[in-house]
Amino acid sequence: MNNRSQNRIIIDGVEVEFSNGETIYEAATRHGATIPTLCYDPRLNPFGACRLCVVEVEGVRNPVASCTTKATPGTVVHTSSPTLDLHRKTLLEMVASENDALAVDPLRGYASQELTQLVAQYRAATDRFAGQHSGHSKFEDDNPFILRDYNKCISCYRCVRVCAEQEGDYAISVMNRGFHTQITTEFNGLLRDSACTFCGQCVQTCPTGALGDKKALRFIEENI
Amino acid sequence: MSIIANHELIERWRNAPAPLLPLLHAFHDRDGYLAAEALRAISAALRIPLAELYGTVTFYHHFSREPQQPQRAPRVCTGPVCALRGGQELCHALADQGATAMPCAGRCDEPIPVLQGHQVLVGSAADDLVHRPAPLPPPNPGSLPECVFAEIRRPDRATLTGYENSGGYSGLRKAVQEMTPQAVIDLVSASKLAGRGGAGFPTGRKWQAVCDAVGTPKTVVCNADEGEPGCFKDRVIMQYDPHAVIEGMILAAYATGATRGFIYLRYEYPEIQPLLERAIDEVKAANLLGPQILGTDFHFELYVRRGAGAYICGEESSLLNSLEGKHPFPRNRPPFPVTHGFADLPTAVNNVETLASAAQIMRRGADWYLSLGMNGQVGTKVISLSGDIERPGNYEVPFGLPLKTLLYDWAGGPGAGRTIQAVTMAGLSGGFLAGDALESATLDEPSIRAHGSMLGAAGIIVFDDRRNMVAAAHNAMTFFAHESCGKCFPCRIGTQRLRERLNGEGPTGVESWLAEVADLGRTMKAMSACGLGMAAPLVTESLVRFFPAQVEQYVDGHKSHAGWE
Ligand SMILES: Cc1cc2nc3c(=O)[nH]c(=O)nc-3n(C[C@H](O)[C@H](O)[C@H](O)COP(=O)(O)O)c2cc1C
Ligand code: SF4
Ligand code: FES
Repeated sequence: MNNRSQNRIIIDGVEVEFSNGETIYEAATRHGATIPTLCYDPRLNPFGACRLCVVEVEGVRNPVASCTTKATPGTVVHTSSPTLDLHRKTLLEMVASENDALAVDPLRGYASQELTQLVAQYRAATDRFAGQHSGHSKFEDDNPFILRDYNKCISCYRCVRVCAEQEGDYAISVMNRGFHTQITTEFNGLLRDSACTFCGQCVQTCPTGALGDKKALRFIEENI
Repeated sequence: MSIIANHELIERWRNAPAPLLPLLHAFHDRDGYLAAEALRAISAALRIPLAELYGTVTFYHHFSREPQQPQRAPRVCTGPVCALRGGQELCHALADQGATAMPCAGRCDEPIPVLQGHQVLVGSAADDLVHRPAPLPPPNPGSLPECVFAEIRRPDRATLTGYENSGGYSGLRKAVQEMTPQAVIDLVSASKLAGRGGAGFPTGRKWQAVCDAVGTPKTVVCNADEGEPGCFKDRVIMQYDPHAVIEGMILAAYATGATRGFIYLRYEYPEIQPLLERAIDEVKAANLLGPQILGTDFHFELYVRRGAGAYICGEESSLLNSLEGKHPFPRNRPPFPVTHGFADLPTAVNNVETLASAAQIMRRGADWYLSLGMNGQVGTKVISLSGDIERPGNYEVPFGLPLKTLLYDWAGGPGAGRTIQAVTMAGLSGGFLAGDALESATLDEPSIRAHGSMLGAAGIIVFDDRRNMVAAAHNAMTFFAHESCGKCFPCRIGTQRLRERLNGEGPTGVESWLAEVADLGRTMKAMSACGLGMAAPLVTESLVRFFPAQVEQYVDGHKSHAGWE
């Protein structure tokens, strides 16, 4: 399988090479395709939760998650189609429906505009599928560094994964299940009572601004 | 009464295989809840980060994190069948004992089950709850040959002696003493036996894949989680024929080269655990399990592990995470368990009924099994039939039997003066069948799929003409929303939104209600990561297809479920 010429797949009509172990997402984006994602962070193990990154693979009935599926020789992939775009739009409308307002201050964090940008790009309506909201902000966590505004959380687990995989702190996790899923710490307490070291990695990977950099926000408040 | 110390509980389990669940149960049984101090001790002993352990514990709905007042408060089934029999009312009647509702507990052929500690009581009212074994399958009604039920009604079948007197373990003896593992796999492949847990994957092919996979030790897992509402077939097999399941597992181990096995038993079958453990002890003493089985160098150890209340743990990769003590989300696939299963090593996960069938097939041969189907289909399937039907129970049918024959000739049809309005398929996962399908469908996957549903694990719930089908769909979607693991977005949000739309919420006009329900369902089916999120929208899809008038009446009438029984 190390034969270079065998490691080729067709992405949107173009034959491209992939390296051993590469996912469809990695191969496709390296060759210029844009595939929407919410739970993806290139530094983290692929997780396959948001399902926005699904692509069509010829011969496979349902779309497959490109972030978790390894490229295999000869696969024919379509990264967008009217059907895929419709599913992505519907999914973004579902995501938008679980939170209160989407817009957040970009100073909250590096990735904080990802969701709002995708919602705009897919022209997803923000008033469909109205129902219960899923998040519970923890404003009572008065640590000076990390804002925990989970009303904006979409349960992508990027914070949980970065804490475990990049920092090795394992301070945060998920509790409950289904729509009641919440990002939590041991015994659902405050960050300062947990294994958190306030490194801020979780803040910078959060795609909705549910986690915010209190220092940056404070700086603006105090100086403008 | 002396209390067992934390460290004693931990010493008992820390070096056992798959220790987290039994350790959590040990603390939960001792204290009635899982105290912070207990979790700290377990976290340190098993080296699971505390935050992760805390999150994992909250995943299982039978674990309490707070002291219970009173301890062992009853849990009352309000599943789709019990809802028709007053489960909700019984739960209210037991409120002074701290009763809470639970999803289908797998006793749908009886009055309402109430789980209390390690016992399941059944009854219709608060003052007539009794503890009794679940019923045997009704006598074979069709006089057609059976496979898994062929000997199950013999009075002593659950004992080793009774089992061996009726042919038990002769297949295993033949396999181990006269056949190569490959010959065993070939025989199972030739019988065309396929998975009976719902997905229907050919069993011989699965065993071959595990046999061929690199990496040891290999594992066999018996999936006894049976969480699908309206399914109670695995329970009856384990209760009255536990050795058939164990023989099937030992055969699977011999065929695949596995040296350890787990039976993952759902929490709601507490009486089954000691029964299985006693059977395992008997087989060990008979040198059919353990080291040097029948004097050969074949070695296989078997353990029972009990779940803690999570339907998704029946999904095989979620089950494996649960066994390993991880958060029980399903895994991304590929890779599949046959190469990356328990502890990332090759693993055969098989359903209870599949394994019991394999034991019979070894004894009676592939040709015998091939001859059992009807109308061009191969083999048999145990169907759990419940709801508005005269004789509910487990029936073993030849694949290809007309649905009608089962409903009317075998099970006596609906109650007097009633007609059948709809049946569910695959428990709840296949949604509803109604209309012409009730006349023309046969009990096999191709026929049921042609009707837009699936046979799956083959629970069938009957609804007669008194029933409000929107309320039935609401009960079903409440289950899926309750059981969605919360990992993938389409299912986590979609099951909740569909439940709300059947619960009196959502758009007010029929047209926009239908559009939202259809859009949610379409995207869930296409984008969900596992079978739960893909199957749940079959409920709304079939509701809208078969019962447009009831849907319209519900949405127009301000979304009330009133006016029906
Ligand atoms: C949501 C979900 C729940 C499941 N629950 C069960 C179950 O309770 N018991 C079972 O045997 N299989 C269940 N399955 C199927 C298993 O994933 C797996 O296919 C099966 O255990 C394989 O055994 P078999 O090939 O013998 O059927 C479930 C699947 C899904 C998607
Ligand atoms: S479909 Fe549902 S149960 Fe399955 S992975 Fe997704 S959220 Fe979890
Ligand atoms: S036992 Fe109550 S619905 Fe199955």
